[in-house]
Amino acid sequence: MKTTRHSFLRVVMLLCAFMTTAMPAMAGQLNLSAAASLKESINEMTDKYTAKHPGTTFVKNFGASGALAGQIENGAPADLFISASTEWMDYLKNKKLVDASSEKNFAYNLLVFAGATSKKVTGMNDLAGLDKIAIGSPKSVPAGDYAMQALKKAGLDQKLTGKLVMGKDVRECLMYAELGEVDGSFVYRTDALQAKKAKILFTVPDELYSRVTYPMALTSTGARNSEAKAFIEWLQSGEARSILKKYGFVLK
Amino acid sequence: MNLTPSDIAAVALSMKIAITATLISLPFGFAVAGLIVFGQFRGKVLLEVLVNLPLTLPPVVIGYFLLLLLGKHGWAGSALRAAGIEIIFTWKAAVIASATVGFPLLVRSIRLGMDSIDRQLLQASRSLGAPWYDTLATIVLPLSFRGMLAGSSLMFARSLGEFGATIIVAGNIPGLTQTIPLAIYDYASSPTGTTMALSLCLVSVVLSVAILFVHEGIGKKLEDGRSQ
Repeated sequence: MKTTRHSFLRVVMLLCAFMTTAMPAMAGQLNLSAAASLKESINEMTDKYTAKHPGTTFVKNFGASGALAGQIENGAPADLFISASTEWMDYLKNKKLVDASSEKNFAYNLLVFAGATSKKVTGMNDLAGLDKIAIGSPKSVPAGDYAMQALKKAGLDQKLTGKLVMGKDVRECLMYAELGEVDGSFVYRTDALQAKKAKILFTVPDELYSRVTYPMALTSTGARNSEAKAFIEWLQSGEARSILKKYGFVLK
Repeated sequence: MNLTPSDIAAVALSMKIAITATLISLPFGFAVAGLIVFGQFRGKVLLEVLVNLPLTLPPVVIGYFLLLLLGKHGWAGSALRAAGIEIIFTWKAAVIASATVGFPLLVRSIRLGMDSIDRQLLQASRSLGAPWYDTLATIVLPLSFRGMLAGSSLMFARSLGEFGATIIVAGNIPGLTQTIPLAIYDYASSPTGTTMALSLCLVSVVLSVAILFVHEGIGKKLEDGRSQ
C-alpha cells in the first residue's frame, strides 16, 4: 500500500538522520583517561576543579593503563592520560600520541597483598599455600605486571600456575578479594585502604619490583587545548597533592 | 602463526569444557524437549519461557546469577562448600556456564526433531500395550536422533565461544579456566597483543568451520540412511 511505504521510508530517513547527527563537542569538556586505581582521587579532584572553573567539565575513563593506551592508539578521544606505569606512557610516546614535553610524575604507590582470608599469610612464601590469588593481567594491567615481576624475582611464578586469576584491572582484583572468591589479591596500598572486608596481609618488598610510578601527560589533541594545559598544571598544585595524600598515594 | 603453550592449553581446555557441557546437557535436553512436545500440564508455557530465557538474557547476567547461586555466600554455595565441592573459579563452573547458555539451543533442535515424529507411530505403540518408557526408548529416541545431533553441534559451537558467563563465574585463570575467548580477550586488552589475538581467532574460526562440516556430513549420512 502506498501509505505504508511512505511511512516506512519516513522511518528509515529518521533513523539515518538520527544516526548521522554528531554529538557536538561541548566547549570546555576535557577527556581524561586514567588508571583504575586513581578513580576516587581523580573524581574528587575534578569535582573541586569544576567548582572553581565552572566552564570546564570532565568525561572520565578509568581502566587498566594498557587497555587505555590501546584505546588512545585506536583513536579514542583523550586530552590527558595518567598511567600507572611508565611502560604505557612510553608506548604512547613512541607512537607520538602524547606530548612528551608535558610529561610529569603525578604520584607513586606501593604494591600490597590484600585479602579477606582467615589463612595465615605474612609474606611472599606463604602464597604457595593458598588456593586462588587474583592478579591483574600482566599484559595490560600495571598492577599485575608489578606483581608478576615480584613473583618471578621471588621464584614463585612456576609454583602458582593454575592459581592466578587474571583481573581486567586492579579494581576487579580487589573485588575478588572483597567477595572472598580468592584468598587474596595483589593490589595497590591505596586500593586496599578503600576495601571494606579485605585487609592488607603484607606489603610486597620493594626490591622485588620496579617502583610504581604514575606518569601523566597531555595527548597530542590535549596539547592544543588550553584548558587541558591549565588542568595538568593544577594537578601539580598543593591542592591536588593534598587530595592524593589523603588517599594514601606517595608523593615523592 | 605462533601459539604459546598457554594458547594450546586454552584450546584444549575449550574443547574439554564444550564436550563435557554438551554431554551432560543431552539427557536433560532430551527430557525437557520431550516434556514440552508430548506433555500436557499446567505451566507448560512457563517451562518454555524458562528454557528459552538464557537465549535472550545477556550472558553476563546469566554468569552473575550463577555466581549468586553457587558462590561462597550464594544460595546453594554454602551447602556445596560443606560437602567440599568447589565450583566457582574451576573448570566445572565453566562447564555449568556453557551448559546453561547452550541449553535453549539444544532443546530447540530436539523439539524440532520430535515435532516431526509421526504421532500415529506413538498411538500404534500405545495400542500395542507398550508403557511410556518403552515408547520413549524404542520410538521417540531413535527418531529424535537427528534433532539431538543438530542440537549438540549447535551447543558445542556455542560453548566454544562462551565468554560473558564464563568470565564471571569461572574467572580468567590460565591453565585452569582460560578458554579461547578469554585468552583472546586477554590479548586484545593489550595493545601489544594484537597478533597473538589474531592467531587464536584463526584457530577459533577453523574449529567452528570444522564443526559445521561434521554437522552437515553426519546429517547427510542420517538422511541417506533413512531414505533407503
